[in-house]
Amino acid sequence: MNMREKLCALISGAALLAVASAPSQSLAQETLTAGVEAAFPPWAYVENGEFKGIAIDAMREIAKDEGLNVEFRDLPWPSLIPALSRGRIDLLVTGLNVTPERAEVLDFTIPWWENDDEVLVPEDSDLNLVTALCCGATVGAQGGATQAQWLEENLADNENVDLAVRTYEDYVIAVEDMLAGRLDSVVTSTDTAESFLANDRPIKIVGTIQQNQPQALAVQKGDPNGLLESLNRGILKLYNDGRWAEIVHRYSPQATIRQIPTTMPDYVDSYHEPIPGYSE
Amino acid sequence: MEAFNSVVISQMPFLLGGLWVALQLLALLLILGLGLGLGIALMEVYGHWTLRWAGILFERIFRGIPALVLLLLFYYGVTEFIELSAFTSAVLALGLRSAAYQSQIFRGVIQAVPAGQMAAARALGMPKHKAVFHIILPQALRQAIGPWTNEFSSELKATSLAYVIGVVELTRQGRYIISSTQGNVLLVFAVVAALYFVANWLGNQLLYKLERSLALPGFETRRDD
Repeated sequence: MNMREKLCALISGAALLAVASAPSQSLAQETLTAGVEAAFPPWAYVENGEFKGIAIDAMREIAKDEGLNVEFRDLPWPSLIPALSRGRIDLLVTGLNVTPERAEVLDFTIPWWENDDEVLVPEDSDLNLVTALCCGATVGAQGGATQAQWLEENLADNENVDLAVRTYEDYVIAVEDMLAGRLDSVVTSTDTAESFLANDRPIKIVGTIQQNQPQALAVQKGDPNGLLESLNRGILKLYNDGRWAEIVHRYSPQATIRQIPTTMPDYVDSYHEPIPGYSE
Repeated sequence: MEAFNSVVISQMPFLLGGLWVALQLLALLLILGLGLGLGIALMEVYGHWTLRWAGILFERIFRGIPALVLLLLFYYGVTEFIELSAFTSAVLALGLRSAAYQSQIFRGVIQAVPAGQMAAARALGMPKHKAVFHIILPQALRQAIGPWTNEFSSELKATSLAYVIGVVELTRQGRYIISSTQGNVLLVFAVVAALYFVANWLGNQLLYKLERSLALPGFETRRDD
């Protein structure tokens, strides 16, 4: 984004903010479409025909508090961000990592989670943290996910490390392929790894890559519907009155609750003061 | 066996729900394809050259683009101008593509009706459009059922692509089960495959039955030489 575009974005952002700060009564009537990838436990998935998961339950609570009318729409992972930037959905509700590339095309709420990445191998594998990620290893990750990008940039593109990355539409398929012997290891986020272990998949964690990767909800760039204020306020309220911990532990009993907001990277426009629903 | 009971039996209502969505999508796209495809075939065979070229252009475009790309184009592209749900986008994308394929089935069977039939009808004083509807099409459409079963089967399978734009059909319901149990990939896809197979088989049986019941003695599906 060049200087001029940045300025334009900033100005239009500020203008929208001014409009949005007038209490948006009309918003309550309008149904917002929340895009989810319902194949991503523990954050969002479908069980017995019902949307479930930490992000889903938290969003329902926030909607109740803030008087929003939210309807969930399932889209495959690679379609979610394009659908949001095209305005086919109004917000994105899942375990979405905050990254510089995504910050260019969408606006994030204050981050409510932080993740590290775990290196998974089959239960009976002899590989360790180092050998699982070098020396001719083939490593699986979800296509378009931060893990795949990290592996490409830091290991596959490094000529001193002999590693190939293979990407999958979702982590269940990646782990299945590893168990079929076609991958040496899979790198995924801590919650996803824990959820595989909780489901008794024959895998083990051989190491953790410390990422302190923040996760947040996202809205369209420039927040045209003025949602950030309600969402940020809703997230804080949920955290402060203890419902957040309750929801997280419902799906992930061992998880450590981090203080909200977690790390707010400077490259995210919507984390510059004043942050609607948070700064005041 | 335990996995079969807990996963397949308990989740069967959702899989069947997904199959029902797939069948609705199939019915609508085939109807759209049938009407439009027949129109294009008539344009290509009997139309003025402008209509003929328009028909050929449409057919080349929709046969030349992968179904998956068409789905994405309709969902993200067309909806810039007109508000369409994911399901409607899928009906249009797959239906127009099916029209292109079906037009070639109909063009083939219309042209396979011996030229003498048209000449005889015209010699008896029948106007051309009446000859087409009363003499040519009744013979041609009977012959079309055979190749049309093929189109039915291939479109039934193509409905599984619609999940990329968020239509929750059979394949997506299968993925839900896989991701909520974080496994059972082979088991779930085997059941999904079986459901597609049964739907396909039953559909084909019906079409064969229709073909037999409409067959005219001496005009069955075979060359008459």
